[in-house]
Parts: sequence; structure tokens; C-alpha cells
Amino acid sequence: MPLLTLKFKDNAIQDFTLQKEKSITIGRQNNNNIVIENLAVSGHHAKIDSVGDGFVLTDLQSKNGCFVNERLVTSHWLKHGDIISIGKHTLIFEYRQGEVRPAVPSGDMDKTMVMDTSKYRDMMSKSDSNTLSPRMKKNAPSGFLSYLSGGDGEVELEKKLIKIGKDPSCDIVASGLGVGRTAATISKRPNGFYLSFVGGMSKIKVNSKVIKESVALKEFDIIELGSVKMQFFTKE
Amino acid sequence: MIIIESAGITDIGKKRKINEDSMFLDNNLGLYLVADGMGGHRAGEVASNIVVETISNYIKKLSEDDDTQEFNIPDETLSSKANHLISAISLSNRIAHQVSSKNEAYRGMGSTLSAVYFNKNTFIAANVGDSPIYLVHNGDIELISVPHTVIAEQEAAGSEGSRQLGPEFYNMLTRAVGTDETVKPDICEIPYFKNDIIVICSDGLSGNVTPNEILNAVENKSSKTICHYLIELANERGGDDNISVIIIKIKSAHSNTTGIKWLIWRVLEEFKYLFIKKRV
Repeated sequence: MPLLTLKFKDNAIQDFTLQKEKSITIGRQNNNNIVIENLAVSGHHAKIDSVGDGFVLTDLQSKNGCFVNERLVTSHWLKHGDIISIGKHTLIFEYRQGEVRPAVPSGDMDKTMVMDTSKYRDMMSKSDSNTLSPRMKKNAPSGFLSYLSGGDGEVELEKKLIKIGKDPSCDIVASGLGVGRTAATISKRPNGFYLSFVGGMSKIKVNSKVIKESVALKEFDIIELGSVKMQFFTKE
Repeated sequence: MIIIESAGITDIGKKRKINEDSMFLDNNLGLYLVADGMGGHRAGEVASNIVVETISNYIKKLSEDDDTQEFNIPDETLSSKANHLISAISLSNRIAHQVSSKNEAYRGMGSTLSAVYFNKNTFIAANVGDSPIYLVHNGDIELISVPHTVIAEQEAAGSEGSRQLGPEFYNMLTRAVGTDETVKPDICEIPYFKNDIIVICSDGLSGNVTPNEILNAVENKSSKTICHYLIELANERGGDDNISVIIIKIKSAHSNTTGIKWLIWRVLEEFKYLFIKKRV
């Protein structure tokens, strides 16, 4: 496993061996794995995570920053011979002789790669919960329409495309003179719910405004068509 | 009734030796695809090709055979056409994955896929990876695909950490066609209107040209002119990747109000067709 050598000026102070599937923290406070007692060093200054076969250095929003090979970094895949500077101290990252080194993931950075999903999860679970969210993705809120008149209860907008109209096959059936077979649709898009007019003499209204094309639905918008009046809302 | 004017161009760019992007467009099928392949040697090219060929052939076959076949419905909340598209994407994933696991040279190859498929009053937008699909409607441009990148997913999760991720994550995808046994596209179905414009591109364009610049470029020009202009712009800014773009302009949408307008229009269009044919 690779070695971290802590140096102050030219003097080596201590060696640390990194371990797979272990994270280490670096900082001024005693509860770090590598303690550097110097006022230029933040309480918890940086950490090194094992990700897959490699190691990633992450700055923990330290006051004076982390430098690798004299360049300021926020996050950096460590390579053999990298020199990390924290305050006036340096840490040298080196693999031992004959040790297998991982293929450098950033070897060809302009090329797109697919992240190994297990690697991704690894990284998420090992990192601080406030630095990297363990949830892969915030679940999009679910949309609902609740009946104000012309029906009872609420309808969850589960489908990607919800049809509203006179036709019995519609998800929300509205009666009334001039209501189209499919009068309008609501589509679920990456950034929200959109109501669109489709057809019919009787036009659909959102907050009493006639919709001729499409409109993004906002929380508590009121939708009216023929006999039906509904209110839109979302739930996380 | 829908009239579409579409164009698509794929360009190698200025830095790469091969073009790993593939695309497909067919106004009659109403199907438009952009795939950005990845993997060493020529694997990326192979992957994006498999994806585009498989999906277009599958959809072509379906449109010819009508509904003689029984289909499994992967997602009940979607229209049948959206389900066909999902089946086509799954099939292309299976084939690409098989090729890559059987052939050492292609190991680990994959491709993004962004697809637009027209239904009666709507179009379906599906994507895997980071090739964006934009909808231009009423002077606004909106991303309707979901970028499957580490950075975007961290941002979507509201994570503070996304700002701290290093450059090695910028091009890191969380999903691609062909890299795993199964793949799940993000999908939405959106009604279209006259004068809407849909733009599908690879990150060779979206990495160098902002959505607002795309918005400004698409007004009042033919689809082909827009494609040329955008590709040139991306090349001027380095052309560091392959660049592909498809522009779909909706010239005339379904008319709900009258049949007569449509009839007149049809007749005129027929004349135009005859006229052009004679000249050729």
C-alpha cells in the first residue's frame, strides 16, 4: 500500500501507510489521523479516501487550502510522487517498489468514461455525508391534482403523460359542452410538470387564464376544464 | 398532421482522429438519434454505431409490421410508442454489451444515446448519458434530457460536494448504453406546437456552446444552416471532441381547429411536390 511521508522543510517527520477502504483525515486537531500542529492548518484540513484501486485527496474547505505539486486543488486523484502542501508542511505520496499502481483514471481527461457504479457507491459511502451526498439523486417530487369540484379526492400524476378530456380513456375525465376528447395533457419533464392544450372548443384554464399552448405548473395552481376544477400540488 | 424540417451533421472536430459519434434521422419514421461512443481504439465508434443501427432498425421494423407482434410493456405509465423506444434501447444495450464482453478489443465500450421519437400529438425524448436534448418553445430553451454525469447527479442531489469534485469527474458518466447488462433511460413525453425546435447534440457541441447561444442560433434559419453554424462555432472554440447536432423544426403541428385549412394546405403541398418532381 502507498506511503505518505510527512515533512517539514526538508526533514521527514513521520511515515503513514494508506490502506484500502480506509479514509484518513489531516488537520490540526488531535482527532485526525495525521495531526499537524501549525496555525496555518485548519482543524480538519483535508482527507484522503480510498476509491476503487486509487486514492483521492479532498480539501475540507480549509482556510488556507491544499496544494498538490504547487497547484491549488479541491479534489485530486493521487499519483506516485505527488507532493501535497498543507501550510508549511508537505506530504509525499509514493507507492512502494514493485507495488501495483492503479491505472490513472485521469490519464486521458478529455475522454468520457463511465464510472464503475460500485466505485461510485464506494466513494459516496466513504466520504463525509455533508461533502458528498450519499443519495445518488434527489427523487423528483410527485405531482398531484386534488378535486375542488367535479370529483373527489386527489389524483397522483404518475404517468409521464396524463390526459384530460371527455374521452373515458382519459386519466381525468371532464364533461361539458365543447370539451375535447383529449382536451389537455400534463407531461412530467426533468424540471417539473407542464400542462398543454390539445384540442376542443372549450379551452382549459390555469388560474383563470386560458392556455393555448403549454405552461409550467406551479404549486397550488388551479386548473379548470368543463365540469372539473382541480388544484395542483407536489409532495417530496 | 405534422410537418418537420430537420437536418443533422456530425463532424470529427479538430483534435480527434476518428469520429465516435453516430446519428440517425428520418422524418417519415419521426425518429432522431445521437450517440456518442466511448472506449479505446475504435470501440467507441463501434458502440455508437451498434446503438444507432439497432434502435433505428427496431423502430423501422415496428412501423412496417404494424402490430402483428406482441410486445412486453416495460412501463405501464408510458404510451406504447415510448415503450417501443425503451425496448429498442434495451435491445441495443444487450447487443453492445454482448459484443464488448465477447471481444477483448471492445471491452468496456459504451455509448450515450439521446433519442426523439414522434407520437401523434407528442414527442418522446429519451436519453442515457450526457448528450443533451433541448426544446426551444416560445423563445425559451429548456433541457429536457437528464444528464447522467457524476457532477450533475451530485448537483441534483443538492450536494455541496459537487463543487469540490476534480476535473477527472467532469466527463464521468454514471450510465451508458452497453457498459452493463441492463440500462434505464430517462424518458418524457411532451406535446409539440408549431414553431417548436428540438436540438439533439453530443457534448462536443454542448461543451463549447451554451444553451443561450443555441437559442439565438436557431431563430429564422433553415435547419441545415443552423447545424453548419453550430458546428463551426464549436470548432472555432477548439473542436476538442467530435461534434454532432440534429435540428428538428416543427413547421406545422396538428391542427385541432379546422379541417379545411389542412385540406387547402395538403392540396398546395401536393402541387409543390409535383412541381419539384417535374423540374427534377
